Amino acid sequence: MDYDAMDMDTEALGPAVKISEADSTHVNFELSNVDLSFANSLRRIIQAEVPTVAIDLVEFMANTSVLADEFIAHRLGLIPLDSRNIKDMPMARDCDCGGHCDKCTVILTLHAKCLGDEIMNVHASDFSVSSARPNQTVGNPIITDPEGLGPLICKLRKGQELHIECMAKKGIAKEHAKWMPTSAVGFEYDPHNKLHHLDLWYETDAEAEWPKSKYADWEDPPQEGEPFDYDAVPNRFYFEVESAGNIDPDAIIQLGISELQQKLAKLITGLGEKSNIDDQYDGPQSPGAMDDGAMYQNDGYQTAYGNGGAQSAWGGGATAYGTTPYGNSGQGGWS
Amino acid sequence: MNAPDRFELFMLGDNEKKITEKIYAGMSNTSDFILLKEDHTLANLLAEHLKQAPHVLMCGYKLAHPNVPEVFIRIQTDGTITPKEALIEVCKQLIGAYAQLQREFTREYELRKMVSAGNQDQANGF
Ligand SMILES: [Zn+2]
Repeated sequence: MDYDAMDMDTEALGPAVKISEADSTHVNFELSNVDLSFANSLRRIIQAEVPTVAIDLVEFMANTSVLADEFIAHRLGLIPLDSRNIKDMPMARDCDCGGHCDKCTVILTLHAKCLGDEIMNVHASDFSVSSARPNQTVGNPIITDPEGLGPLICKLRKGQELHIECMAKKGIAKEHAKWMPTSAVGFEYDPHNKLHHLDLWYETDAEAEWPKSKYADWEDPPQEGEPFDYDAVPNRFYFEVESAGNIDPDAIIQLGISELQQKLAKLITGLGEKSNIDDQYDGPQSPGAMDDGAMYQNDGYQTAYGNGGAQSAWGGGATAYGTTPYGNSGQGGWS
Repeated sequence: MNAPDRFELFMLGDNEKKITEKIYAGMSNTSDFILLKEDHTLANLLAEHLKQAPHVLMCGYKLAHPNVPEVFIRIQTDGTITPKEALIEVCKQLIGAYAQLQREFTREYELRKMVSAGNQDQANGF
Protein backbone atom coordinates (compact mmCIF):
# COMPACT_ATOMS: atom_id res chain seq x y z
CA MET A 1 0.00 0.00 0.00
CA ASP A 2 1.20 3.46 -0.76
CA TYR A 3 1.19 5.77 2.19
CA ASP A 4 2.71 8.62 0.28
CA ALA A 5 -0.71 9.81 -0.66
CA MET A 6 -1.45 10.44 2.98
CA ASP A 7 1.66 12.46 3.53
CA MET A 8 0.75 15.72 5.12
CA ASP A 9 2.99 18.69 5.67
CA THR A 10 6.45 17.31 6.12
CA GLU A 11 8.69 19.56 8.10
CA ALA A 12 10.85 21.15 5.49
CA LEU A 13 14.20 19.96 6.70
CA GLY A 14 15.36 17.47 9.23
CA PRO A 15 14.50 13.86 9.90
CA ALA A 16 11.75 12.21 7.87
CA VAL A 17 10.19 8.82 8.52
CA LYS A 18 8.39 6.44 6.24
CA ILE A 19 7.00 3.27 7.82
CA SER A 20 6.79 0.33 5.46
CA GLU A 21 5.70 -2.43 7.82
CA ALA A 22 4.43 -2.50 11.38
CA ASP A 23 2.63 -4.84 13.73
CA SER A 24 2.67 -5.68 17.40
CA THR A 25 6.16 -7.15 17.28
CA HIS A 26 8.07 -5.20 14.69
CA VAL A 27 8.32 -1.98 12.74
CA ASN A 28 10.24 -1.34 9.53
CA PHE A 29 10.88 2.22 8.52
CA GLU A 30 13.05 4.45 6.43
CA LEU A 31 14.75 7.32 8.20
CA SER A 32 15.93 9.97 5.76
CA ASN A 33 17.37 13.45 5.73
CA VAL A 34 19.76 12.66 8.56
CA ASP A 35 23.42 11.71 8.66
CA LEU A 36 24.96 8.38 9.57
CA SER A 37 25.87 9.35 13.13
CA PHE A 38 22.33 10.50 13.87
CA ALA A 39 20.81 7.25 12.62
CA ASN A 40 23.43 5.06 14.22
CA SER A 41 23.03 6.68 17.63
CA LEU A 42 19.35 5.90 17.46
CA ARG A 43 20.18 2.28 16.68
CA ARG A 44 22.66 2.05 19.51
CA ILE A 45 20.39 3.62 22.08
CA ILE A 46 17.38 1.42 21.36
CA GLN A 47 19.53 -1.66 21.64
CA ALA A 48 21.48 -0.75 24.74
CA GLU A 49 19.79 1.88 26.86
CA VAL A 50 16.01 1.60 26.79
CA PRO A 51 15.10 0.21 30.21
CA THR A 52 12.99 -2.93 30.70
CA VAL A 53 12.39 -5.33 33.58
CA ALA A 54 13.93 -8.78 33.79
CA ILE A 55 14.47 -11.40 36.46
CA ASP A 56 17.69 -10.52 38.26
CA LEU A 57 17.77 -12.60 41.42
CA VAL A 58 16.44 -16.12 41.95
CA GLU A 59 16.02 -17.99 45.19
CA PHE A 60 15.77 -21.76 44.84
CA MET A 61 13.67 -23.40 47.51
CA ALA A 62 13.76 -26.70 45.65
CA ASN A 63 15.30 -27.86 42.43
CA THR A 64 15.44 -31.57 41.79
CA SER A 65 15.24 -31.16 38.03
CA VAL A 66 18.13 -32.27 35.84
CA LEU A 67 19.19 -28.67 35.28
CA ALA A 68 21.57 -26.84 37.62
CA ASP A 69 20.31 -23.83 39.56
CA GLU A 70 22.57 -21.43 37.64
CA PHE A 71 21.39 -22.82 34.34
CA ILE A 72 17.75 -22.27 35.22
CA ALA A 73 18.51 -18.83 36.67
CA HIS A 74 20.07 -17.82 33.38
CA ARG A 75 17.05 -19.02 31.44
CA LEU A 76 14.75 -17.12 33.79
CA GLY A 77 16.64 -13.88 33.19
CA LEU A 78 15.96 -14.14 29.48
CA ILE A 79 12.17 -14.44 29.77
CA PRO A 80 10.60 -11.23 28.44
CA LEU A 81 8.50 -9.51 31.10
CA ASP A 82 5.97 -6.77 30.43
CA SER A 83 7.78 -3.43 30.61
CA ARG A 84 5.25 -1.18 28.90
CA ASN A 85 4.50 0.73 32.02
CA ILE A 86 7.69 1.19 33.97
CA LYS A 87 8.15 4.93 33.81
CA ASP A 88 7.41 5.35 37.52
CA MET A 89 9.36 2.28 38.56
CA PRO A 90 12.82 3.24 39.85
CA MET A 91 15.97 1.27 39.28
CA ALA A 92 16.45 -0.81 42.43
CA ARG A 93 19.78 0.84 43.13
CA ASP A 94 18.19 4.31 42.98
CA CYS A 95 15.27 3.30 45.16
CA ASP A 96 15.06 4.64 48.71
CA CYS A 97 14.65 1.13 50.06
CA GLY A 98 18.30 0.30 49.47
CA GLY A 99 17.54 -3.29 48.56
CA HIS A 100 14.25 -4.30 47.06
CA CYS A 101 10.68 -3.27 47.75
CA ASP A 102 7.26 -3.16 46.11
CA LYS A 103 8.20 -0.03 44.18
CA CYS A 104 11.34 -1.26 42.49
CA THR A 105 10.91 -5.03 42.37
CA VAL A 106 8.38 -7.51 41.05
CA ILE A 107 8.31 -10.94 42.67
CA LEU A 108 7.48 -13.97 40.53
CA THR A 109 7.02 -17.33 42.16
CA LEU A 110 6.72 -20.77 40.69
CA HIS A 111 6.17 -24.12 42.32
CA ALA A 112 5.87 -27.21 40.16
CA LYS A 113 6.17 -30.88 40.97
CA CYS A 114 5.64 -33.72 38.57
CA LEU A 115 3.41 -36.39 40.03
CA GLY A 116 2.27 -38.23 36.92
CA ASP A 117 4.12 -40.59 34.62
CA GLU A 118 4.22 -38.08 31.80
CA ILE A 119 7.07 -35.57 31.52
CA MET A 120 5.90 -32.22 32.84
CA ASN A 121 6.77 -29.02 31.03
CA VAL A 122 7.21 -25.90 33.15
CA HIS A 123 6.42 -22.69 31.31
CA ALA A 124 6.60 -18.98 32.02
CA SER A 125 2.81 -18.96 32.23
CA ASP A 126 3.10 -21.03 35.42
CA PHE A 127 4.50 -18.03 37.28
CA SER A 128 2.37 -16.22 39.76
CA VAL A 129 3.24 -12.55 39.92
CA SER A 130 3.09 -10.62 43.19
CA SER A 131 0.23 -8.16 43.41
CA ALA A 132 2.32 -5.61 45.30
CA ARG A 133 4.09 -3.94 42.40
CA PRO A 134 4.16 -0.54 40.70
CA ASN A 135 1.16 -1.45 38.52
CA GLN A 136 -0.73 -4.52 37.49
CA THR A 137 0.96 -5.14 34.14
CA VAL A 138 4.63 -4.69 34.90
CA GLY A 139 6.48 -7.96 35.25
CA ASN A 140 3.86 -10.21 33.67
CA PRO A 141 5.57 -12.81 31.49
CA ILE A 142 5.01 -12.05 27.81
CA ILE A 143 3.04 -14.87 26.26
CA THR A 144 2.45 -14.86 22.54
CA ASP A 145 2.12 -18.50 21.54
CA PRO A 146 -1.35 -19.70 20.58
CA GLU A 147 -1.46 -22.20 23.44
CA GLY A 148 -0.75 -19.41 25.92
CA LEU A 149 2.09 -21.28 27.58
CA GLY A 150 4.99 -18.88 27.16
CA PRO A 151 8.66 -19.83 27.05
CA LEU A 152 9.62 -23.28 28.32
CA ILE A 153 11.69 -23.07 31.51
CA CYS A 154 12.47 -26.73 32.17
CA LYS A 155 11.03 -30.25 32.11
CA LEU A 156 10.34 -32.46 35.12
CA ARG A 157 9.93 -36.21 35.32
CA LYS A 158 8.02 -38.06 38.00
CA GLY A 159 9.00 -36.93 41.49
CA GLN A 160 11.08 -33.93 40.39
CA GLU A 161 10.27 -30.51 41.74
CA LEU A 162 11.05 -26.86 41.05
CA HIS A 163 10.19 -24.19 43.60
CA ILE A 164 11.62 -20.73 43.02
CA GLU A 165 11.11 -17.09 43.93
CA CYS A 166 12.41 -14.56 41.42
CA MET A 167 12.99 -10.85 41.74
CA ALA A 168 12.54 -8.87 38.56
CA LYS A 169 14.18 -5.46 38.41
CA LYS A 170 14.51 -2.60 36.00
CA GLY A 171 17.73 -2.33 34.07
CA ILE A 172 19.37 -1.60 30.74
CA ALA A 173 21.16 -3.82 28.26
CA LYS A 174 24.49 -2.12 28.92
CA GLU A 175 24.48 -4.06 32.17
CA HIS A 176 23.16 -7.34 30.79
CA ALA A 177 21.65 -8.29 27.43
CA LYS A 178 18.57 -9.73 29.14
CA TRP A 179 17.34 -6.13 29.50
CA MET A 180 17.28 -5.53 25.75
CA PRO A 181 13.88 -4.40 24.48
CA THR A 182 14.82 -5.48 20.95
CA SER A 183 15.51 -8.98 19.73
CA ALA A 184 16.99 -7.68 16.48
CA VAL A 185 17.55 -4.36 14.79
CA GLY A 186 18.21 -4.22 11.07
CA PHE A 187 20.20 -1.20 9.99
CA GLU A 188 21.03 -0.69 6.35
CA TYR A 189 21.90 2.06 3.90
CA ASP A 190 23.11 2.46 0.34
CA PRO A 191 21.71 -0.83 -1.04
CA HIS A 192 23.64 -0.44 -4.30
CA ASN A 193 26.92 0.18 -2.49
CA LYS A 194 27.41 3.35 -4.48
CA LEU A 195 29.41 4.83 -1.61
CA HIS A 196 31.83 1.88 -1.59
CA HIS A 197 31.52 1.54 2.19
CA LEU A 198 31.61 -2.18 1.47
CA ASP A 199 34.29 -3.98 -0.43
CA LEU A 200 32.41 -6.98 -1.82
CA TRP A 201 34.32 -10.22 -2.23
CA TYR A 202 33.68 -11.98 -5.54
CA GLU A 203 34.68 -14.89 -7.79
CA THR A 204 34.25 -13.11 -11.07
CA ASP A 205 31.53 -10.47 -10.74
CA ALA A 206 30.33 -8.99 -7.45
CA GLU A 207 27.21 -7.58 -9.12
CA ALA A 208 26.03 -11.05 -10.17
CA GLU A 209 27.12 -12.96 -7.09
CA TRP A 210 25.70 -10.80 -4.31
CA PRO A 211 21.91 -10.82 -3.87
CA LYS A 212 20.34 -7.37 -3.72
CA SER A 213 18.64 -6.17 -0.60
CA LYS A 214 14.91 -5.54 -0.85
CA TYR A 215 15.67 -1.86 -0.43
CA ALA A 216 17.60 -1.84 -3.70
CA ASP A 217 14.28 -1.14 -5.46
CA TRP A 218 13.85 1.98 -3.36
CA GLU A 219 16.93 3.72 -4.71
CA ASP A 220 18.25 4.35 -8.20
CA PRO A 221 20.86 1.85 -9.32
CA PRO A 222 24.20 3.31 -10.40
CA GLN A 223 24.38 4.37 -14.04
CA GLU A 224 26.75 2.63 -16.42
CA GLY A 225 30.12 4.40 -16.26
CA GLU A 226 28.96 6.80 -13.57
CA PRO A 227 32.00 8.45 -11.95
CA PHE A 228 32.51 7.86 -8.22
CA ASP A 229 31.21 10.72 -6.11
CA TYR A 230 33.79 11.40 -3.43
CA ASP A 231 31.52 13.83 -1.60
CA ALA A 232 28.48 11.59 -1.37
CA VAL A 233 27.29 10.64 2.11
CA PRO A 234 24.56 8.24 3.16
CA ASN A 235 21.23 9.91 3.79
CA ARG A 236 18.55 7.19 3.78
CA PHE A 237 18.59 4.49 6.44
CA TYR A 238 16.43 1.38 6.60
CA PHE A 239 15.55 0.19 10.09
CA GLU A 240 13.92 -3.12 10.92
CA VAL A 241 13.17 -3.09 14.63
CA GLU A 242 11.99 -6.32 16.20
CA SER A 243 10.67 -6.15 19.75
CA ALA A 244 11.45 -8.88 22.26
CA GLY A 245 7.83 -8.46 23.34
CA ASN A 246 8.31 -6.52 26.55
CA ILE A 247 7.82 -3.07 24.95
CA ASP A 248 5.88 -2.25 21.78
CA PRO A 249 8.16 -1.57 18.82
CA ASP A 250 7.09 2.04 18.36
CA ALA A 251 7.53 2.73 22.06
CA ILE A 252 11.08 1.39 21.83
CA ILE A 253 11.87 4.09 19.27
CA GLN A 254 10.15 6.81 21.27
CA LEU A 255 11.85 5.83 24.51
CA GLY A 256 15.21 5.58 22.78
CA ILE A 257 14.83 9.10 21.45
CA SER A 258 13.97 10.57 24.83
CA GLU A 259 16.88 8.69 26.35
CA LEU A 260 19.20 10.36 23.86
CA GLN A 261 17.66 13.76 24.43
CA GLN A 262 18.19 13.40 28.14
CA LYS A 263 21.83 12.50 27.61
CA LEU A 264 22.31 15.63 25.52
CA ALA A 265 20.44 17.74 28.05
CA LYS A 266 22.68 16.48 30.84
CA LEU A 267 25.69 17.69 28.89
CA ILE A 268 24.18 21.15 28.55
CA THR A 269 23.55 21.36 32.29
CA GLY A 270 26.93 19.79 32.97
CA LEU A 271 28.53 22.64 31.05
CA GLY A 272 26.82 25.08 33.34
CA GLU A 273 23.98 26.20 31.18
CA LYS A 274 20.41 25.76 32.30
CA SER A 275 18.61 23.30 30.16
CA ASN A 276 14.97 23.45 31.04
CA ILE A 277 14.59 19.80 30.26
CA ASP A 278 16.33 18.41 33.19
CA ASP A 279 16.42 20.30 36.41
CA GLN A 280 15.95 17.02 38.11
CA TYR A 281 18.65 15.16 36.29
CA ASP A 282 21.66 16.31 38.23
CA GLY A 283 23.84 13.96 40.09
CA PRO A 284 24.73 10.37 39.58
CA GLN A 285 21.78 8.29 38.64
CA SER A 286 21.01 5.32 36.55
CA PRO A 287 19.99 6.22 33.06
CA GLY A 288 16.32 6.00 32.60
CA ALA A 289 15.71 6.37 36.27
CA MET A 290 13.59 9.43 35.90
CA ASP A 291 12.66 8.92 32.42
CA ASP A 292 9.88 9.22 30.22
CA GLY A 293 7.51 11.46 31.91
CA ALA A 294 8.68 13.02 28.73
CA MET A 295 7.28 10.37 26.56
CA TYR A 296 4.11 9.40 28.17
CA GLN A 297 2.75 12.48 29.79
CA ASN A 298 4.77 15.21 28.24
CA ASP A 299 4.88 16.70 31.70
CA GLY A 300 7.34 19.47 31.94
CA TYR A 301 9.27 18.27 28.96
CA GLN A 302 9.05 21.37 26.91
CA THR A 303 12.22 21.74 24.97
CA ALA A 304 13.19 25.24 24.12
CA TYR A 305 14.83 23.68 21.15
CA GLY A 306 12.76 22.22 18.44
CA ASN A 307 9.54 24.08 18.35
CA GLY A 308 7.48 23.39 21.31
CA GLY A 309 8.75 20.12 22.58
CA ALA A 310 7.90 16.58 21.92
CA GLN A 311 4.20 16.39 21.46
CA SER A 312 3.75 12.73 21.35
CA ALA A 313 0.68 10.74 20.80
CA TRP A 314 2.00 8.29 23.27
CA GLY A 315 -0.05 7.37 26.23
CA GLY A 316 -2.68 9.98 25.70
CA GLY A 317 -5.53 9.37 23.38
CA ALA A 318 -5.48 12.77 21.77
CA THR A 319 -3.02 13.19 19.00
CA ALA A 320 -2.39 16.21 16.91
CA TYR A 321 -4.24 14.36 14.21
CA GLY A 322 -7.50 14.08 16.02
CA THR A 323 -8.50 11.56 18.54
CA THR A 324 -8.51 8.17 16.99
CA PRO A 325 -11.78 6.36 17.27
CA TYR A 326 -9.93 3.11 17.56
CA GLY A 327 -10.03 2.31 21.21
CA ASN A 328 -8.10 5.26 22.52
CA SER A 329 -5.53 2.97 23.96
CA GLY A 330 -2.29 4.51 22.90
CA GLN A 331 -0.54 1.58 24.48
CA GLY A 332 -0.17 -1.38 22.28
CA GLY A 333 -3.43 -0.48 20.73
CA TRP A 334 -2.71 -2.34 17.60
CA SER A 335 -5.94 -3.57 16.21
CA MET B 1 36.18 -11.84 41.31
CA ASN B 2 37.90 -8.53 40.81
CA ALA B 3 35.78 -7.54 37.85
CA PRO B 4 34.32 -4.07 38.16
CA ASP B 5 30.56 -3.84 38.59
CA ARG B 6 28.88 -3.70 35.22
CA PHE B 7 26.79 -0.71 36.17
CA GLU B 8 30.01 1.27 36.36
CA LEU B 9 29.74 1.37 32.58
CA PHE B 10 26.91 3.89 32.79
CA MET B 11 26.58 5.19 36.36
CA LEU B 12 28.64 8.12 37.53
CA GLY B 13 30.56 7.38 40.70
CA ASP B 14 30.54 9.68 43.70
CA ASN B 15 32.14 13.04 42.92
CA GLU B 16 32.34 12.25 39.22
CA LYS B 17 31.15 14.91 36.81
CA LYS B 18 29.43 14.01 33.55
CA ILE B 19 31.48 16.46 31.54
CA THR B 20 34.67 18.40 32.19
CA GLU B 21 36.31 20.99 29.98
CA LYS B 22 40.07 21.29 29.78
CA ILE B 23 41.48 24.15 27.77
CA TYR B 24 44.17 22.84 25.47
CA ALA B 25 47.06 25.26 25.29
CA GLY B 26 48.76 23.64 22.32
CA MET B 27 46.29 25.10 19.82
CA SER B 28 44.30 28.29 19.60
CA ASN B 29 40.64 28.32 20.66
CA THR B 30 40.78 24.65 21.53
CA SER B 31 39.27 22.69 24.38
CA ASP B 32 39.18 19.05 25.31
CA PHE B 33 36.03 17.65 26.86
CA ILE B 34 35.98 14.51 28.97
CA LEU B 35 32.62 12.76 29.15
CA LEU B 36 32.43 10.12 31.85
CA LYS B 37 30.26 7.01 31.54
CA GLU B 38 29.49 7.61 27.87
CA ASP B 39 30.42 5.81 24.66
CA HIS B 40 30.23 6.08 20.86
CA THR B 41 26.48 6.70 21.03
CA LEU B 42 27.06 10.27 22.17
CA ALA B 43 30.68 10.74 21.11
CA ASN B 44 30.28 9.95 17.44
CA LEU B 45 27.02 11.86 17.24
CA LEU B 46 28.53 15.00 18.78
CA ALA B 47 31.83 14.84 16.93
CA GLU B 48 30.20 14.40 13.52
CA HIS B 49 27.77 17.22 14.12
CA LEU B 50 30.44 19.53 15.53
CA LYS B 51 32.41 19.06 12.34
CA GLN B 52 29.43 20.40 10.42
CA ALA B 53 28.78 23.27 12.86
CA PRO B 54 29.58 26.88 11.95
CA HIS B 55 32.79 28.37 13.42
CA VAL B 56 34.18 24.93 14.23
CA LEU B 57 37.52 24.34 12.54
CA MET B 58 38.31 20.91 13.89
CA CYS B 59 36.74 18.23 16.00
CA GLY B 60 37.65 14.67 16.83
CA TYR B 61 36.90 12.11 19.51
CA LYS B 62 38.34 8.94 20.93
CA LEU B 63 37.45 6.18 23.31
CA ALA B 64 40.84 5.17 24.52
CA HIS B 65 39.81 1.65 25.51
CA PRO B 66 36.63 -0.33 24.79
CA ASN B 67 36.23 -1.26 28.46
CA VAL B 68 36.69 2.27 29.74
CA PRO B 69 33.56 4.39 29.36
CA GLU B 70 35.32 7.70 28.94
CA VAL B 71 34.94 9.89 25.91
CA PHE B 72 37.48 12.46 24.84
CA ILE B 73 36.36 15.20 22.43
CA ARG B 74 38.65 17.93 21.13
CA ILE B 75 37.09 21.01 19.54
CA GLN B 76 38.80 23.93 17.86
CA THR B 77 36.82 26.99 16.79
CA ASP B 78 37.68 30.05 14.73
CA GLY B 79 37.47 32.25 17.82
CA THR B 80 34.06 33.75 17.10
CA ILE B 81 32.60 31.38 19.67
CA THR B 82 34.24 29.22 22.31
CA PRO B 83 34.43 25.44 21.93
CA LYS B 84 32.06 25.14 24.87
CA GLU B 85 29.50 27.35 23.15
CA ALA B 86 29.84 25.29 19.99
CA LEU B 87 29.24 22.10 21.94
CA ILE B 88 26.20 23.48 23.73
CA GLU B 89 24.74 24.72 20.46
CA VAL B 90 25.18 21.33 18.83
CA CYS B 91 23.56 19.61 21.81
CA LYS B 92 20.57 21.93 21.55
CA GLN B 93 20.22 21.38 17.84
CA LEU B 94 20.39 17.62 18.24
CA ILE B 95 17.72 17.65 20.94
CA GLY B 96 15.56 19.60 18.51
CA ALA B 97 16.29 17.24 15.63
CA TYR B 98 15.43 14.20 17.72
CA ALA B 99 12.25 15.94 18.88
CA GLN B 100 11.31 16.36 15.25
CA LEU B 101 12.08 12.71 14.58
CA GLN B 102 9.82 11.83 17.48
CA ARG B 103 6.95 13.85 16.04
CA GLU B 104 7.49 12.46 12.54
CA PHE B 105 7.60 8.91 13.80
CA THR B 106 4.51 9.32 15.96
CA ARG B 107 2.56 10.85 13.10
CA GLU B 108 3.53 8.14 10.63
CA TYR B 109 2.77 5.43 13.14
CA GLU B 110 -0.64 6.86 14.01
CA LEU B 111 -1.49 7.08 10.33
CA ARG B 112 -0.55 3.47 9.81
CA LYS B 113 -2.61 2.44 12.77
CA MET B 114 -5.65 4.24 11.40
CA VAL B 115 -5.20 2.66 8.01
CA SER B 116 -4.83 -0.83 9.45
CA ALA B 117 -7.82 -0.32 11.71
CA GLY B 118 -9.83 0.94 8.74
CA ASN B 119 -8.89 -2.11 6.73
CA GLN B 120 -9.90 -4.35 9.55
CA ASP B 121 -13.25 -2.62 9.89
CA GLN B 122 -13.87 -3.24 6.21
CA ALA B 123 -12.91 -6.85 6.59
CA ASN B 124 -15.35 -7.15 9.47
CA GLY B 125 -18.07 -5.72 7.31
CA PHE B 126 -18.41 -2.32 8.99
ZN1 LIG C 1 12.89 -0.28 46.35
